Amino acid sequence: MTASDLVALSPLILLSATALVVMLSIAIRRHHGASATLALLGLAASFASLRWAASVTPRQVTGLLLIDGYTLFYWGVLLALAAAVVLLAYSYLEHQTGHQEEFYCLMLLATAGGLVLVASSHMASLFLGFEILSVSLYALIAYLHLQRLPLEAGVKYLVLAATSSAFLLFGMALLYSETGSMQLATLARFYMGAPNAALGAAGWAGTVLMLTGIGFKLAVVPFHLWTPDVYQGAPLPTTALVATISKGSVFALLLRWFHPAGSLAGTPVWWAFVIMAAASMLAGNLLALRQNNVKRLLAYSSIAHMGYLMVAFVAAGPLAVQAATYYLLAYVITILGAFGIMSVLCSGEEECCELEDYRGLFWQRPVLAAMFSAMLLSLAGIPLTAGFLGKFYVMAAGASSALWLLLFVLVASSTIGLYYYLRVLVVLFSSLPEDHVKVMLPRGRVPAGAGFSLAVLVILLFVFGLYPAPLWDLIRGISAGIG
Amino acid sequence: MPTSAAENYFPVLLQILIAMAVAGGMVGGSFFLGHKVRNRIKDMPYESGMVPTGDARGRFSVKFYLVGMLFILFDIEAIFLYPWVVVFHELKMLAFIEMVLFIVFVLAGFFYIWKKGVLNWAAEGNDEGKDAVRILSHDQHAA
Repeated sequence: MTASDLVALSPLILLSATALVVMLSIAIRRHHGASATLALLGLAASFASLRWAASVTPRQVTGLLLIDGYTLFYWGVLLALAAAVVLLAYSYLEHQTGHQEEFYCLMLLATAGGLVLVASSHMASLFLGFEILSVSLYALIAYLHLQRLPLEAGVKYLVLAATSSAFLLFGMALLYSETGSMQLATLARFYMGAPNAALGAAGWAGTVLMLTGIGFKLAVVPFHLWTPDVYQGAPLPTTALVATISKGSVFALLLRWFHPAGSLAGTPVWWAFVIMAAASMLAGNLLALRQNNVKRLLAYSSIAHMGYLMVAFVAAGPLAVQAATYYLLAYVITILGAFGIMSVLCSGEEECCELEDYRGLFWQRPVLAAMFSAMLLSLAGIPLTAGFLGKFYVMAAGASSALWLLLFVLVASSTIGLYYYLRVLVVLFSSLPEDHVKVMLPRGRVPAGAGFSLAVLVILLFVFGLYPAPLWDLIRGISAGIG
Repeated sequence: MPTSAAENYFPVLLQILIAMAVAGGMVGGSFFLGHKVRNRIKDMPYESGMVPTGDARGRFSVKFYLVGMLFILFDIEAIFLYPWVVVFHELKMLAFIEMVLFIVFVLAGFFYIWKKGVLNWAAEGNDEGKDAVRILSHDQHAA
């Protein structure tokens, strides 16, 4: 461990230290605002140190972590997402009884797990990152443990995530017994069919087990069953965290090490990904059609979106990594915005996430309803939004690899998806019901922090939808070394 | 010279027998020879000369899961410390700094849980214990 190693790790170190400081500050004196401020400051310091870390990268730190442009880019994304979640969580938790402060400590730890995951180049760090993320999420999902649904969601997630971790671990053991290496780069070579590298039965069994573990975290069909219940039960800021940081970091890891790079096409692993992609797109969109709870609806739609991402993932060529990264970025911005708006609206002790609660929202809260509409349109992939360009790039990547069947499924399922997004839009803009009793957040009381982060998300949504060139160039730069 | 295992251990057997005879003889002797007085004071549990108060069936919370967490906290520390001691001389200063950091983290966790009133088992009417009581009542409520 040299000084440069520490510099390269500085964002991660600062983030972990912040979690510790927040915890100690709670022990000394509880104060919601202070905890949130400390968390924000820590995230900002960590974000600022990215530039510092960039001066010594690319660098392999201790055989476990690989810090390069790709890592730093995703670190920046994760830290920014975490900061937005802090702002949203602050206004959300203000209305909840019980302790609010620990949320930030756990959230920072979950983010640190995501950071480790993105940087990991070794099975040990992969598993560690996985666990830091999961264990924090167990507590975060069941954070409002006095209510029935969060507790139920927390226990469900605990049981399933622990099982999936066991799958992952067993898969790693089998793969290690076959390949004799825990380095992900070596492992990836086996899939690419490098000379003198063929997997035996144990290796393939290990691959399937690892796919199960990773598929669970990404919530792709057939490992998606936990998604709606956990999304619905978890407090809204946690749901946003699961949808963005948890999935984003796992996908970034997958994209870096197992992006097929052409030579994988036609192999069994490739087919597994193709089938998961097609099944996720179809099942996610079809199951979302008849949901009456907006959180469940977005949960099913997230399954479909992971399917879209997988299309770019299985596509070969230089475009694929960039398309997947762009799509992922567009998706996390959009879904964070959608959950953020919901968390601002659901200001009571009870969350109002039924579709009917949103009837006529536009006539009560025009700005928030308009923002929500923008998010939904981006999820549906309507032009001018980041979601459209993301989907466009994914299509382009798929077309350049001639994945016609997958593209057909993508187009067909997107059309299905349009129906339920528009269904929510119709509800938002329809007239107020006669017996209107449920009062959403009274006019003009969006908390400053949450309002700021929502405004930034909406602006980013349109900037990335209208003027993609700078981001696209940045992504091209960081993804040059991989894939 | 003793040759077999039985011969080797014979003195031990002898020692055990003598010990049993002496202990049995003393207790038995005082039982048969001594005179007995029974009264209420004498039948009370002897606790260092203090007069016992209350009922032995008083209930108090063991807070098993918090104690379990504390146990894990220090168990993990011990698990890391043992191998660390073995390789300490090869790793030198780096290992020392890393272990100090690790122990600081563990102690920070301990400080947090302490301030939360986990060590305060007799929590009633005590400010510091209120957190723990609330946690506990929440548990019962949730169950």
